Amino acid sequence: MDDLSGAGSTPTIGVEPAPFDVRDFARTAHGSHREGLDLEAIPDAALTREAVRTILTLAELEGATMAHLRNVLVTATHKDARVTAFLVSWAYEKYWVADALRAVAGAAAPVGATRANDASRPAVAAAPVRARGRGPIRRALAGFAQGSDVIGAHLALGCVDDLVLDLAYARLAGDVPTADGTPDPALGDAIRRIRAIKARHSAFFHEEATRRLETSPRAARLARRELSRAAWPLGAASVSDEDRRSFARFALGGDPGSASALERGIRSLAGIDERTAARVTGRLAG
Amino acid sequence: MAFDIDRYTATSVAVDWSDLDLEAFRREPLPGSSLRTLRYMADVEYHTVCYTRDLLTTPSHRESDVSAFMTMWNREEFWHGEALAAVLAVHGVSIDYDELKASRLKLGWKDRLDPIKQSVLGGLVGQDFVAVHMSWGAANEWSAITAYQRMAELEEHPVLAELLRRIAKQEARHVAFYTSQARERLAASTKAQKVTRFALSRFWAPVGSSIMAPEEVRHVMGHLMSGEEGRRAARKVDDSISGMPGLAGLTIVQDALDRLGVAS
Repeated sequence: MDDLSGAGSTPTIGVEPAPFDVRDFARTAHGSHREGLDLEAIPDAALTREAVRTILTLAELEGATMAHLRNVLVTATHKDARVTAFLVSWAYEKYWVADALRAVAGAAAPVGATRANDASRPAVAAAPVRARGRGPIRRALAGFAQGSDVIGAHLALGCVDDLVLDLAYARLAGDVPTADGTPDPALGDAIRRIRAIKARHSAFFHEEATRRLETSPRAARLARRELSRAAWPLGAASVSDEDRRSFARFALGGDPGSASALERGIRSLAGIDERTAARVTGRLAG
Repeated sequence: MAFDIDRYTATSVAVDWSDLDLEAFRREPLPGSSLRTLRYMADVEYHTVCYTRDLLTTPSHRESDVSAFMTMWNREEFWHGEALAAVLAVHGVSIDYDELKASRLKLGWKDRLDPIKQSVLGGLVGQDFVAVHMSWGAANEWSAITAYQRMAELEEHPVLAELLRRIAKQEARHVAFYTSQARERLAASTKAQKVTRFALSRFWAPVGSSIMAPEEVRHVMGHLMSGEEGRRAARKVDDSISGMPGLAGLTIVQDALDRLGVAS
């Protein structure tokens, strides 16, 4: 096949890129990363305590898909078979991303720190589950009035959450958090794998949200409201306040321009203004 | 025996039919009434996410084993839908996401109110309500296995039988999860037993009843569960359900068939 005409080539101006192929995504969804991760190559104490804590928090956040699904599926979002088909595989991939993160944290924990259990899932039941945002009943009731426009808002939430989490991944991919200041190739490889998985999720969320927010001012208005109200990152209810704050410090504390880069990313969604973007960063940092 | 959730998640796969000769259906196509039943089954499998939504509105989503299971379960059921859709496609029946969306849009107010009712009940009953969901899930998965087995027996089509065998094998692991959860929760609480018994006997209906038209439910149940063999299969499911703690004597599947007027 001619590479230039294949998928992944730069689209010609004026030609619509092919829409995200949900069936192909489902077919190629990635399961466990355990075999691909070179945990042996990650030296003990490769990471600072702060970085290990961030990775463990990321694992909780990535694994909190069922709580998020509860909130979005009680509304019209569950009616959209294309979106739900995506979410089924999205939750599956995130489950294994969380598993990979716990394995990496376990391998790289500083000596003397509590090593993450690299074999099992987190004790979600033991995590402090607090009422953040609205519960399913209020969401379902609100959903009556919001109708299908709420789907665009939910996709925007998914898109922005990926942007928030990627700030932390970007920092972990750099050399800042390693204990001795030098990059670790095995860790770098693990983070690259995870970002590649998440890049497809972000592509779907961004494409679908953009399409809906562009065509419906009401969907854009709902998206602005949902983004401004949400607790950031989205899975925050599954981690402690301290871990959430520590995560936010880490995510925003690398590149001094990270907050403004996040806001630019948020504003790239149709109909999302500067004020909404600033509220997201404000709630994340707060 | 306790269900090993780590082993389950590590071995959960999308059902594979790439080695099956679906072209055999061109030479030996399934009759129209069987395609109608298969279509129902595919729709129900695709709709699994709707049941997840109901499950998620109660305290059960907070438990990590349940979350892990549901993640894999959802995906396996989605692929059962895809597999059945592949068989239907050979017969010229296509199922695309827009069409599924259109059928979900028809569900109306009941569909909108269901998660709220579930949440309110879950809130009132508390942790014991999880036992209802787990027992309900077990009853649904047992009946799904039975439906696939009956379909394979009735059609006597080797390719269909093999595909349905693979699907039913995955459903058997779902049964194992639901029953281990249900048994444990029922055994631990008399209140859970009472609430579950009440909910199953009053509200249980064949899988798909809440999302498919009544005539489709009647067609599928009549097709698969009528006659002596059908009743025997229904009794077997009832025996399994009533074997759980505090549920002795329940005959919910046979009762449902009677209500639908399915001949015994």
